[in-house]
Amino acid sequence: MQFFGGSEISPSPPTPTVSGNNAHMMYVFNRNGVCLLYREWNRPLHTLNAQQDHKLMFGLLFSLKSLTAKMDPTSAERGNLGVPQLPGQGCSFHSFRTNTYKLSFMESPSGIKIILITHPKTGDLRESLKYIYNLYVEYVMKNPLYTPGTPIRSDLFNTTLDQYVRSIA
Amino acid sequence: MIGVGKIKQYSNVLDKPLSKGKQEVSLSAFAFLFSELVQYNQTQVDNIAELERRLEDAGYAVGARVLELLCHREKGNRRETRLLGILSFVHSTVWKVLFGKVADSLEKGTEHEDEYMISEKELLVNRFISIPKDMGTFNCGAFVAGIVRGVLEGAGFPAVVTAHFVPVEGQQRPRTTILIKFAEEVLIFPPSLVTVLLWI
Amino acid sequence: MAAICSLYIINKSGGLIYYKDYGSGGRMDTNDSLRVASLWHSMHAISQQLSPTTGCYGIELLEADTFDLHCFQSLTGTKFFVVCEPGTQQMESLLKVIYELYTDYVLKNPFYEMEMPIRCELFDINLSQVVQKDRVVLLGR
Repeated sequence: MQFFGGSEISPSPPTPTVSGNNAHMMYVFNRNGVCLLYREWNRPLHTLNAQQDHKLMFGLLFSLKSLTAKMDPTSAERGNLGVPQLPGQGCSFHSFRTNTYKLSFMESPSGIKIILITHPKTGDLRESLKYIYNLYVEYVMKNPLYTPGTPIRSDLFNTTLDQYVRSIA
Repeated sequence: MIGVGKIKQYSNVLDKPLSKGKQEVSLSAFAFLFSELVQYNQTQVDNIAELERRLEDAGYAVGARVLELLCHREKGNRRETRLLGILSFVHSTVWKVLFGKVADSLEKGTEHEDEYMISEKELLVNRFISIPKDMGTFNCGAFVAGIVRGVLEGAGFPAVVTAHFVPVEGQQRPRTTILIKFAEEVLIFPPSLVTVLLWI
Repeated sequence: MAAICSLYIINKSGGLIYYKDYGSGGRMDTNDSLRVASLWHSMHAISQQLSPTTGCYGIELLEADTFDLHCFQSLTGTKFFVVCEPGTQQMESLLKVIYELYTDYVLKNPFYEMEMPIRCELFDINLSQVVQKDRVVLLGR
């Protein structure tokens, strides 16, 4: 176990659902749509340049969130389509699947969005994303040299992340 | 209906046996073709009565040919001369060849002597067709009505034949009734009688 | 709440041509349903752009907090999607059955104009039967 400022990283990593190296990439965005981190492990296809790719991804998440909030069958109060939803407000989503990949998504109360793209057959990664968020809090937010809202350049975070992702996907 | 299959090639068409053919035709192929027939005719007309008439005409040509073929194939080149005979010929033989089944019912009209009805719970041509609300009582069964008229007139029983939707109790969908109203002379001088008269 | 909440069919240019609600938290009004449909159309296209590998055909399943959205796209670009309770099974086969009904009762209907809203009585009747049957199967489990 790793210790950081006396506190243990909690909880312990969830058990992997699928083994093998099939994670493709990961994005971390803050609430303003700035891409704080982009990691790529296995991506044979690049259709756009990096900046456009990040913009498109953020736009997709934003629109999907407003779509799910609008379509929520359990509530009658759904707001208007296209109006930004605050983190935790309205019905959100946690993953989608195409024939070539699966995208798992998590948003923290402060608006940090973590996106992990894996093989389409991957199981539920909600717990794993929570754990990655934990890593982010421990290694990035608790780092006094890090200015919030700027790209993450922490080797410690990157290596731990790589290790963890390799273990889950 | 003659299906596509491996058929021996004859140099002379008259040498070819008039076989029963393959009894099955793709329903999808027929449905698309019929759909196109209706759509084409729709572009050629500006009112529904006209469309009905054109569909009936298309059917008439089929009926005339079917009569010719079936008389040769099933009846040894004899044609029906009795009114009930030709009606049951349409109801069973013609229906079976065209739609693969005997028609659901054949009734005599209660109000008029000269009216007969052939009813079908679900007419094959209407299987996939929903009539839009603005077209009122239009029925694509007009094509089948045309076939019936073609057969009857070919056999010497001129008649006015129309197709109607008739609601059925406890059923979501109405059935289709083919209403046959024979011309006056048929009842006074049925072809059987005409033949006798000619003999004298 | 019913297992299946709603069904949408959108044509290849993103226009909503069919929308049916099966008793959920209130029917969406026409403008909203049209907007949702065209939004889904573009999301579906963007998801293909973001694929890490080639040969992506777009989103098949979206898992939201309170519902699942299953989407089926035909080879001609018509998209069918159902909104159902999270974890509802056999939605892929239901979508295939709905597609079959569409090819039968919509495309073979001479009065249907391609890419236009679907108003076919027979399609409605057969669709409600299929969805009903599906519901019975789901309740039986």
